[in-house]
Amino acid sequence: MKHLKAINNKAQKLEQAVAEGRVEEVVAMSAIAGCASTTDPGWEIDVFGGVSSLCQPMEADLYGCSDPCWWPAQVPDMMNTYPDWNKDAANSKEDWRNLGTVFPADKL
Amino acid sequence: MTHTTFPGAVRTVAALAALGAGTILPAQAANESRPLQAGTEYMVVVNHPNNLNVLDLKDNSVFKTCALPGAFGPGMVQIAPDRKTAYILNNRFGTIYGVRLDDCQVHFQAELSPAPEVRAKSIFSFALSVDGKEAYAVYNPTTLHKDHYEVGEPRLVVYDTAAGVDARPIRSFPAPRQVTMLQGAADGSLYMVGANIFKVDVHTGKRELALPIRDWQRPSYAPVDVLSVWPVQTPTRDFTLLYTTARFTDDKQDPATAEYLYGYLNVNLESGQTEARDFGPLTEIYFTGARSPKDPNIMFGLLHRLAKYDVRQQKLIGAAELEHTYYAVIPSTSGDRMYLTGTFNDVAIYDADTLAKLGNIELPGGDMSLGTAQVFIR
Repeated sequence: MKHLKAINNKAQKLEQAVAEGRVEEVVAMSAIAGCASTTDPGWEIDVFGGVSSLCQPMEADLYGCSDPCWWPAQVPDMMNTYPDWNKDAANSKEDWRNLGTVFPADKL
Repeated sequence: MTHTTFPGAVRTVAALAALGAGTILPAQAANESRPLQAGTEYMVVVNHPNNLNVLDLKDNSVFKTCALPGAFGPGMVQIAPDRKTAYILNNRFGTIYGVRLDDCQVHFQAELSPAPEVRAKSIFSFALSVDGKEAYAVYNPTTLHKDHYEVGEPRLVVYDTAAGVDARPIRSFPAPRQVTMLQGAADGSLYMVGANIFKVDVHTGKRELALPIRDWQRPSYAPVDVLSVWPVQTPTRDFTLLYTTARFTDDKQDPATAEYLYGYLNVNLESGQTEARDFGPLTEIYFTGARSPKDPNIMFGLLHRLAKYDVRQQKLIGAAELEHTYYAVIPSTSGDRMYLTGTFNDVAIYDADTLAKLGNIELPGGDMSLGTAQVFIR
């Protein structure tokens, strides 16, 4: 941590927790689950470094990823944050033009 | 409009009215009160916007469609041992529903959240006891404070399936993190898939290791990688997960010269026997695999192709090209056919011996998404 300096409250609390020995050991997941907990290749590149193992067509994989918050950076999280993202597109193959871009709401 | 005389149909009409413009309506919702026939093989699968479909596998048709309460997600179905009730993890991973298949009525409902300020989600971790009297779930709670979220410890909760539509846990135990699947076994225990596969005593919450995943130490092998969110109830009571790994040529463990392999982890829920073995080279990706009910030496894998392996020879012996990706491969009771579910709104049917395509069943409504369907004989 010698090259990193805590500049906000969260980072300072993390430093404090490390100093007090309160940080749990981090273990890589063998059995993966959603919500940014995994970094395995997905939407941009497949496990072999190509694209042929990505879902075909890509729409086939949309709700399998958005329903369980699997790739929340690439596909809106319908479990918690954007539950109505596909309210006008129950059938992704036919209705994909009704799917829009999402933006984080103001917190204050 | 004969269905207006049935309470279920009244709810259906209300549900249809509530749907926004542009959604696809469950076109066959008027058949909600149609009872299932004894001796007939059916599939149950949920799709967007929020339909439970019963498919007649004798003539590969949609037998009935129930409009479900709450919201979709993930629509993961488990069939009760009486083969009359489907239990569904739904409503954005937060509610378990019990639906009577003969009339589409919801007779059981359990909100996983233990308090209004706690958001509780079960990541596919829901199962039934072998006698159908209890339902089990592992939920992950987050307390939503005004200025911050507080992540809580996961809990294993036990429900009485006769508790009605406001079911509360009758027992509750600490559970490990990263649990993605549960299955009830014939001896009354519960198998729990997470960092490892655990066997759980549902009366004490005590866990023992059934099959290691993270803690599987094999000299010259890389740690295995597992994707496990499709708890398919199979006719042989085999609960099967796929893993991938690399076998190194020497102690240098050079990934460039390693042999990449697929394997399966299997718990037979009837006998309690466990097995873990490699079954073929890793040349393409599968999300699910299934052992043939006719021959345990035959293994199927599915994502972009339906592939078939000889386990003893560790050899790919056939593959069918698909019209699109499917997630979950589900054998018929006889093992003669393989049903492909998940992703879009059609179930594909393949001959298990020849891998020839036999047809599709198109669902009223939209995508199945993850599509954990179940096949059973009423």
